[in-house]
Amino acid sequence: MRAFWPIYKRELFAFFVTPLAWVLICVFLLVQGMHFYLLVDHFSTQLDVASDQTPVQAFFGNTVLLYLILFLLVPPMTMRLFAEERRSGTIEVLMTAPVSAASVVLAKYAAVMTTYVAMWVPTLLYLVILGRTGDIDWHAAGASYLGVFLVGGSYLAVGLLMSAVTESQFLALVLTALVVLSLFILGVGEFVTPMDTVLHDVCAHVSVWSQMNDFSSGIVDSRRVVFDVTLVALPLFVATRVVDAWRWSS
Amino acid sequence: MRPQLREKSGIRVGTSPMISVSHLVKRYGAHVAVNDVSFEVGPGEVVGFLGPNGAGKSTTMRILAGSLGMTSGEVKIDGHDVATESLRARRRIGYMPEAVPLYPEMRVSEYLTFRAELKGVARSARRGSVGRAMEKANVRDVAETVIGHLSKGYRQRVGLADALVASPPILILDEPTAGLDPNQIRQVRALVKELAKEHAVLLSTHILSEVEASCTRVLLIARGRLVAQGPTQDIQRMRRPSAVDLAIRGDAATAERALRAVQGVANVTRPGLDGAALLGDVSVLRCTWGKKLAHGDVAAATETAVAALVHAGIAIREVRQVGGSLEDVFAELTLDAADAADATRGRDEAAT
Repeated sequence: MRAFWPIYKRELFAFFVTPLAWVLICVFLLVQGMHFYLLVDHFSTQLDVASDQTPVQAFFGNTVLLYLILFLLVPPMTMRLFAEERRSGTIEVLMTAPVSAASVVLAKYAAVMTTYVAMWVPTLLYLVILGRTGDIDWHAAGASYLGVFLVGGSYLAVGLLMSAVTESQFLALVLTALVVLSLFILGVGEFVTPMDTVLHDVCAHVSVWSQMNDFSSGIVDSRRVVFDVTLVALPLFVATRVVDAWRWSS
Repeated sequence: MRPQLREKSGIRVGTSPMISVSHLVKRYGAHVAVNDVSFEVGPGEVVGFLGPNGAGKSTTMRILAGSLGMTSGEVKIDGHDVATESLRARRRIGYMPEAVPLYPEMRVSEYLTFRAELKGVARSARRGSVGRAMEKANVRDVAETVIGHLSKGYRQRVGLADALVASPPILILDEPTAGLDPNQIRQVRALVKELAKEHAVLLSTHILSEVEASCTRVLLIARGRLVAQGPTQDIQRMRRPSAVDLAIRGDAATAERALRAVQGVANVTRPGLDGAALLGDVSVLRCTWGKKLAHGDVAAATETAVAALVHAGIAIREVRQVGGSLEDVFAELTLDAADAADATRGRDEAAT
């Protein structure tokens, strides 16, 4: 694990020295800013209609915009993690240093996770702005950010794995987008499958849609946390095995 | 039966080796890239891994460096098995791969500092070791340059600095002088000699003079097999010219007769003139040396041939040895190796 810090630092450096990270963050903040503006506008003009929801709840739950932006931003964030190094051959130099596969995978994941968190940090300002005009349910806000952290974290882990299984960054991007989309569609299955069937239960359990609705109202269900953590741990574990396997197959 | 035979005959016995490879095999599907290779590199040795392109040099070196797995066999780095104690083995190696892949967005000093940290150089010693490595590899003047902007020669030397940065006891350099200009090649050769004082060095090349300039011992590899190994002088001895071209002025028939009388000359021919402007009575004769003529005797035989011509009243314009290239040595050795393998097989079969 001694190799974790240097790789983590280098990954962050590589991410922010190229325009990609800045472009992604800009797009993210633009979309979120617009989203926030529309919400505030809506709540200030049509108070009577939207009385059963708070702005924070509406920002994180019951909106497709959150998933849309993750669907668009996660694949380009993770696509280069391993694919770029394999294409350019630097992975060989990296792996001939005394580093373990686990430390490489964890360092790269931590770096992309840090970038993801950095993307969300400016949105805390929205809470500050809302806080000046009314009361904020800080528990619900905290739960919402936990949800965002968990859902994003699992998508990023999937993206990292996809980057490890292919040498092509583009293919990694497409594969990640596919998995993220499939997970979302599987969740939507909750609304189209008949009640009280196994399929319905499965869909309800893995639904990010329901998860964010719950979390944004301050309900943190431990089953959902376990599901998300599994979706982080499993891809990272497989990625570690994949990195180890390069040595024995290529 | 056969492995034991080989171990007795093929491997030097001495102080504990820094690199020890035994019966290394690497297969890519049906293609055998490295076939039953065994050798050792002792401390303070500079061993040249010599072979034509595609002989299995890089594959072997990548296996030693831990970036590629082997099909079978055993590789020990300073006593640590690369398969089971991979981290310990890698900690003892400075490896410079053939293509020298680097992160293009980093500056040279940043990159080397990153590599030093990765290889476990303590924070307090990092500045010093990065500085020393840049000094040795002669890249100090580009320390603040972004790697993506460097020329091939500089990138090559940044790779060399990376191999040196943690001062590992073993250096594995895959074609360290490829892409350098003659001046830089001289510098790198001098550096390699210097490095031998503190490190065991294994370097690969397909240029024979490269090995002669900097190595104490040579491993010759062809088509995945180790065809010969021994001190550099032994290999030099094998590098024997196959013929001598003589440009003469005078009666060609007389000259030919005089040359045929010289001991060691197998044949005298008149090679086609390759565009050289020759005057009317100037002709070129090629004396092919007999197979049995030893390396040292070629020089003496040349002298005899020249003396014979002078004696016959022929004027000599030019004397040029032909052949003796690496390819010739290989052709000879690989043929020998094939013969030897057949002989060994025969013996094994007789024994069982």
